[in-house]
Amino acid sequence: MKFHWFAEATYPHLPPDFAERYHSAWVDVPQDLFEPEKGGQVLNGFLNMYEYAAEVGLDGLLVNEHHQTAGAMTPSPNLMAAALARTTKEAAIAVIGNSIALYNPPIRVAEEYAHLDCVSGGRLIAGFVVGTPMDSSFSYGIPPAEIRERFAEAHQLIRRAWDEPGPFVFNGKWTKLRYVNPWPQPIQKPHPPVWVPGGGSIETWSFVTENDYCYGHLSFSGLRSARPVVDGYWEYVDSVGGNMNPNRMAFTQIICVSDTDSQAEAEYKEAVEFFYRNTNKASRGFTNAPGYTSQASMRWQQEIAEKRGQDRNAAMQGEMGWKDYVDKGFVIAGSPATVRDRLREVVTELRVGQLIACLHMGNLSEEQARKNTYLFAKEVMPGLKDIWSDWDDLWTPQGRREAAAKQTAVSAASH
Amino acid sequence: MTMTDIRVFDREFRVQVATIGEGRPLLYLHGYDGFPGEAPYIMRLAKSHRVIVPEHPGFGESSGIEQIDGILDIALYYRTLIERLGFDRVSVVGHSLGGMFAAELAAICPQVVDRLVLVAPFGLWLDEAPIPDLFYLGPAQLQRATWHDPEGEASQKAMSQLAGADKQSAGEAIIARAGNLSAAGKFLWPIPDRGLVRRLPLINAPTLVVTGESDRLISAPYGEAFASKIPGARLVSIPGAGHVPMAEQPDAFFAQVGPFLDPS
Repeated sequence: MKFHWFAEATYPHLPPDFAERYHSAWVDVPQDLFEPEKGGQVLNGFLNMYEYAAEVGLDGLLVNEHHQTAGAMTPSPNLMAAALARTTKEAAIAVIGNSIALYNPPIRVAEEYAHLDCVSGGRLIAGFVVGTPMDSSFSYGIPPAEIRERFAEAHQLIRRAWDEPGPFVFNGKWTKLRYVNPWPQPIQKPHPPVWVPGGGSIETWSFVTENDYCYGHLSFSGLRSARPVVDGYWEYVDSVGGNMNPNRMAFTQIICVSDTDSQAEAEYKEAVEFFYRNTNKASRGFTNAPGYTSQASMRWQQEIAEKRGQDRNAAMQGEMGWKDYVDKGFVIAGSPATVRDRLREVVTELRVGQLIACLHMGNLSEEQARKNTYLFAKEVMPGLKDIWSDWDDLWTPQGRREAAAKQTAVSAASH
Repeated sequence: MTMTDIRVFDREFRVQVATIGEGRPLLYLHGYDGFPGEAPYIMRLAKSHRVIVPEHPGFGESSGIEQIDGILDIALYYRTLIERLGFDRVSVVGHSLGGMFAAELAAICPQVVDRLVLVAPFGLWLDEAPIPDLFYLGPAQLQRATWHDPEGEASQKAMSQLAGADKQSAGEAIIARAGNLSAAGKFLWPIPDRGLVRRLPLINAPTLVVTGESDRLISAPYGEAFASKIPGARLVSIPGAGHVPMAEQPDAFFAQVGPFLDPS
């Protein structure tokens, strides 16, 4: 098992009646709610939390890209990654990821990822992301019908930039370049490990399986809701003779560790409810971009809707409270022993080798996030590390594997 | 209604086409809301014309939208369809998104367009009169923006005939509607402007621009802008009608469009 630290870089200083007054935390959320000095402090706070996570031994630090939202102040995840590439020395830098259809020209992704890989000593995980409708279609104006085509072409260009010696010509529909020859090039050969998140588009399954990428199910919806999607994915992989290695499956889970089960509510309730009620949701007008999901995927999602449960929509629209979020498995909360047991269930049932531990959520204080991270690293992770240990992990970057091996050698020597 | 296979740009397209009536040929290019089939206004046009109603690629049963790269492709696609159906020259009535297509066809392939009627056409953007984002609006808001009388008979009838209304299940209806809007989005998303403003002055077909006074999608400034940029064009505004004036005020609509299409 690998454990990665993740949080949405949420702006927490929203008015208490935010959810009632504003229909969306995304796309058209009023800019005058953002105070730049405070925003800067919050962004620095997140960098502090990532660095602390690296200190206490998380395998990777996961940063992501969203636009025009109070929920995540990181339109360019590479900026977060650049800071962390300097201030950490061992953890993987997992950029999940660049929404490659939105970078013009997409060669910019190849260039910036190569830069990060060089500066970090080969610790980059290169994420290629389609992007939510809110990001790609409403904020960045891409007609939904064009997104996947642009994504596919961008992917082709980026892979060729890493795989093929330059200069070469790229005569695409969306990008035409006569001299593709990026400097720098990544340390990791043939290229950094690639992760691709998906939310239930079956086209993404064939894409990640053909390319042997790590697939990420990164919704905040817990085991029950995720199961039909993840099961569907593994069934597909098996049916086409794809790689069944659990280390090519990443899964996001909100985790709240306290000293005891009963303390968790006091420590995390407000933050969890802030997350689901205020900033995890976008107005319905912005989540539905016709053409974003293919008709085939829509049909499949309709089929599994019942299995995912009625709760899922209520949860995602922030209509539930702490107790339901925990009882229905959207959030895993409690003592280290409780959290460890619940996580063991999740990662073994869903065949997940890369756990993305969301250890900060909503308006949680930096202090509580540190406590959560400490308890997770010291009391939860060690009891789970052995899961899937019989499988090779080719989706962990080379620089991280080397650093981890050194750490293991050092601790073995000192015993 | 027939399904026709045609090959354009070295690719296959499957097109649903309704061909109704006898007389001079008239091509009807439908709006973003979907294929009208044998709607009353189509049947009324068919009293004096041979009306050809193709379903746009990517809508309903008709395939090939992924083969259409932009507005030039749509114009060439329709020029090719006209020729394949055996016509040299047709009158064209374009509604809503189909109005954008019709105007582009007339500008790019003037040789195939005889007389041109643009009904509540998309294709221009005026900063001073922004068009609401039809992809963002909920169903009730879209209804209010579209119809003079959202509760009236014409509106209710159109709602019941929306894309996918003939489908077996609510789920399939949602999928059908998503397909139509996805195809429409290639031309309307994020702003319904693909450069037509530069090409309107190239139209030499006699042109009538028709808008509904209550249309909140294509409001009065747009009718004026289209009419002023197309040489010799005339503008008509229909009271008591919104985005679909031929459905809400058919008599007033045909009082203008009928004589325009048949000046004799």
